[in-house]
Amino acid sequence: MRRTRRAWLVMGLATVVLAGLAGPGFAQSASPEAEKVTLHIGTGEDINSANPFKAFNTSDYEVLLMNYNMLYGFSAKDLSPVPELTTGCEPSTDHMTWTCDIRDDVFWQDGEKLTAQDIAFTYQLIVDKDLGFFADYLPFNPTFTAPDDTTLVWKAEEPTLAPTVPPYIPILPEHIWGRFAGKDVSVKELEAYEPVPLIGSGPFQLTEWEPGQFWRMEAVDDHFFGDPTIDEVVYHVYTSDEGMVQALKSGEIDYAYDLTPTLARSLESDSDIKVFQEAADYHTNLAFNFGGQAKAYPAVYGGQPDKEETNHPAIHDHAVRLAIAHAIDKQAIVDTVFQGAAVPADTFIAPDKVFWHLDIPSDQEYDFNIDEANQILDDAGYTERTADGVRIDPKSGEPLDFEILTITNSRGSVKTGELMAGWMEQIGIKFDLKPVTDSKAGVDWKYGTFDAYVWSWGGDPDPDFNMSIYTTDQCLGWSDGCYSNPQLDEIYQEQRREFDRDARRDLVNEYQRLYYEDIPEISIAYPETVSAYRTDGFEGWVNSPTQGGAPIFAWRVDSYMNLKPVTAGGATAADEGGMSTGLLLGLGALVLIAIVAYVVMNRRRSEEDEA
Amino acid sequence: MQSRRYIFRHVLHAAGTLLFVLAFNFVLFRAVGDPVELLTRSTLHLDPQEKAALREELGIDDPIPQQFVNYLGDTMRGEFGYSFMSGRPVTETISEKIWPTLLLVGTATILSALFGILIGIKGAWQRGTAFDTGSLFGSLTLYSMPEGWLGMILLITFAGVLGWFPAGGYESTDPLTGFEHVLDVARHLFLPVLTLTLGYLGEFAIIMRSSLLEVMREDFVQTARAKGVRDKEVRRRHAVPNALLPTFTLAFYSVGFILGGAVIIEEVFSYPGLGQLTYQAIDNLDYPVIQAIFLLSSAAVIFCNLLADITYGYLDPRIKEA
Repeated sequence: MRRTRRAWLVMGLATVVLAGLAGPGFAQSASPEAEKVTLHIGTGEDINSANPFKAFNTSDYEVLLMNYNMLYGFSAKDLSPVPELTTGCEPSTDHMTWTCDIRDDVFWQDGEKLTAQDIAFTYQLIVDKDLGFFADYLPFNPTFTAPDDTTLVWKAEEPTLAPTVPPYIPILPEHIWGRFAGKDVSVKELEAYEPVPLIGSGPFQLTEWEPGQFWRMEAVDDHFFGDPTIDEVVYHVYTSDEGMVQALKSGEIDYAYDLTPTLARSLESDSDIKVFQEAADYHTNLAFNFGGQAKAYPAVYGGQPDKEETNHPAIHDHAVRLAIAHAIDKQAIVDTVFQGAAVPADTFIAPDKVFWHLDIPSDQEYDFNIDEANQILDDAGYTERTADGVRIDPKSGEPLDFEILTITNSRGSVKTGELMAGWMEQIGIKFDLKPVTDSKAGVDWKYGTFDAYVWSWGGDPDPDFNMSIYTTDQCLGWSDGCYSNPQLDEIYQEQRREFDRDARRDLVNEYQRLYYEDIPEISIAYPETVSAYRTDGFEGWVNSPTQGGAPIFAWRVDSYMNLKPVTAGGATAADEGGMSTGLLLGLGALVLIAIVAYVVMNRRRSEEDEA
Repeated sequence: MQSRRYIFRHVLHAAGTLLFVLAFNFVLFRAVGDPVELLTRSTLHLDPQEKAALREELGIDDPIPQQFVNYLGDTMRGEFGYSFMSGRPVTETISEKIWPTLLLVGTATILSALFGILIGIKGAWQRGTAFDTGSLFGSLTLYSMPEGWLGMILLITFAGVLGWFPAGGYESTDPLTGFEHVLDVARHLFLPVLTLTLGYLGEFAIIMRSSLLEVMREDFVQTARAKGVRDKEVRRRHAVPNALLPTFTLAFYSVGFILGGAVIIEEVFSYPGLGQLTYQAIDNLDYPVIQAIFLLSSAAVIFCNLLADITYGYLDPRIKEA
């Protein structure tokens, strides 16, 4: 009898504990924070740093976009430059001096007023300290001054259209970052500064960041962009796609960013969830290494490199690159590696940059044709083979055995490499695959100890940066494999000085055409990002660009400014949670009754047996 | 005297192993390349002076033996340098992640040992019954089941379909305090702990069962029965304590591996612990962090082995005499 009572007590306690643990509603409804309108977003990528100078991934850039303002932003229609902190910039006739009118209704999130001096300070800091990513937006040794609070003067040593490219540079408050301007302050000290809350002038502010878990952006009152309905956006970091999908299903999050296509398709049957593909904004590539790192090394790093470059001489032969291009079935890669969520690629400017992207007509593309690839190699004199059937380079006597890096943490890279290796075998070329992390690939890249790698490139709405990658100057800069072609260098410089947008587009197209023909790399696919959101949580998602763009993690903050909670009809996710708590109580009690009954009866029986 | 020598021998053995791990760690992470090169690979324009300053700061200009002495000293003081990834002290980075992992793997180890042992005892004592067959089948199934897969199934069922538990994380993003916070952490902990407990449970149950079966054949158990001691008493006083020894060792070993984290489970449940940190550190070639985690988890295993050896000696004096 005593035992039975104890068992009931245990059962009661266990039920209470389980009921307390289960169901999402419990803690949230008890909290005063529940009155806030919070948008919950799931992503696989945490912020890398709260320091804007260390920003490099999509999440970092979303924080920059929301927390700060730029001189120019991007238009909703086609991402062309539109004034943001400025109301307009006018060039001098020689295009070496630009004068910009700066808005006088912008405030920092700590209440101070933003002036032209803050912009001049930010740009000058970047130029003086040569801060990697950002410095490239400010070419030709510029100087920046602010004769008054609403005027910025940008002077360069050569004609430029850099101010309207526009520079993707967040404008920082001088009253906070001014201490890092001195010559005696190192870049390391500057980069070590990670203030949260971040002070910017944007419509949202980063107020909390738990690395590996979540970060929080709170809406700023009275912003010149407008007054959003949502009070805050919380980004949850998921290390597994499956976890993110389940969180979306249960309503823990409202939006799941960048899902595996097959997993995303499993959500399509859910009437409260909308799955969509956004236009590709980057390309994957097979980038060849032409060598020359050792020569460039001293100027970039100082001293001599510790390792010798190992690039294969045959990479320089256009016939070899052309044969490889004909032996890659891009459509097969799209279908199998990206499960259909990609488009076969031609050039390095993705099709979402509608104005700049050059579409190579299909009759001029390198079609997938193993016979033709073999013929090209035969004609070029690669007729001798090793015992394993690998063709031998007649000039160097070395077999066409290439070391190919595949990047384990770059989407699709490893599988793309594996598929390619199979096709290459059919044309007598060996792809010796070496899967490495991007960090390790960075070390190989630095010393030139590889023949090609399978990776990817994203970029700005303006093509200038992506075009710079293939120029001679960029060896050990942004160049993948120190490719050099004087003709491309020339067109690149020419387009930098062309102020007529249509004329510039002709140059950019000419550049893409040459790139396609000379094959410094092979563009393989434009992968599309597949995401999903709940339709019963918020409404008013806005894509940027409007056609085919993404609602968030894109180029504008329109969605955040425009979203409103769905009020009419239907249960919200929290209500469903409440129901499941009740359901659980019942189920938990049933299970426990069964267990306890079994134990009690079992004990009685064994006691009877023993007696 | 005997026991002091026994302890001394094992402590010496553990210290030797630890020293070997330290030396191995030192050599391993210097064999991968110049740390300055790794550290500065993303900084394009670093002049030689800045590089020299960095070399001095990292202490890699000293001769190797001096570096080793410095390294030992730093390790003793718990100084593991700075993370390449975040630029923050490694000790700080690790200590943030160590508690969630201890909580997760620790709870799961205790629960799985407890339930595993109980199931093993019951199975062995009622050998051949439906419970025994069922529990043995269940234990073997759980033991051979990939944890990640099991976690995924539980995640889909309880977080996605039923929505009873959160799909990931250590705590909710609402600022909670006191009891509410404890409850919130427990809710997030439930599914990963359940997965790990089920995953570890089988091993404990199987070992306990076979060990108890062996003991049940021993003469002293038969004697106790012959003396007319009640069945339950035979089990509690004579059989189980003797059969617990191998399970006990397993429990200690499991505790040693706690610091290694549960990489896969932490990934599946987006749980911010040491396992996830290890994964990220490897991904980013963050050598100072990898080195520290490697050392810590080795030290934990060595320490728990030592504890197991010593305690074992007391529990079973025959070992000490051997």
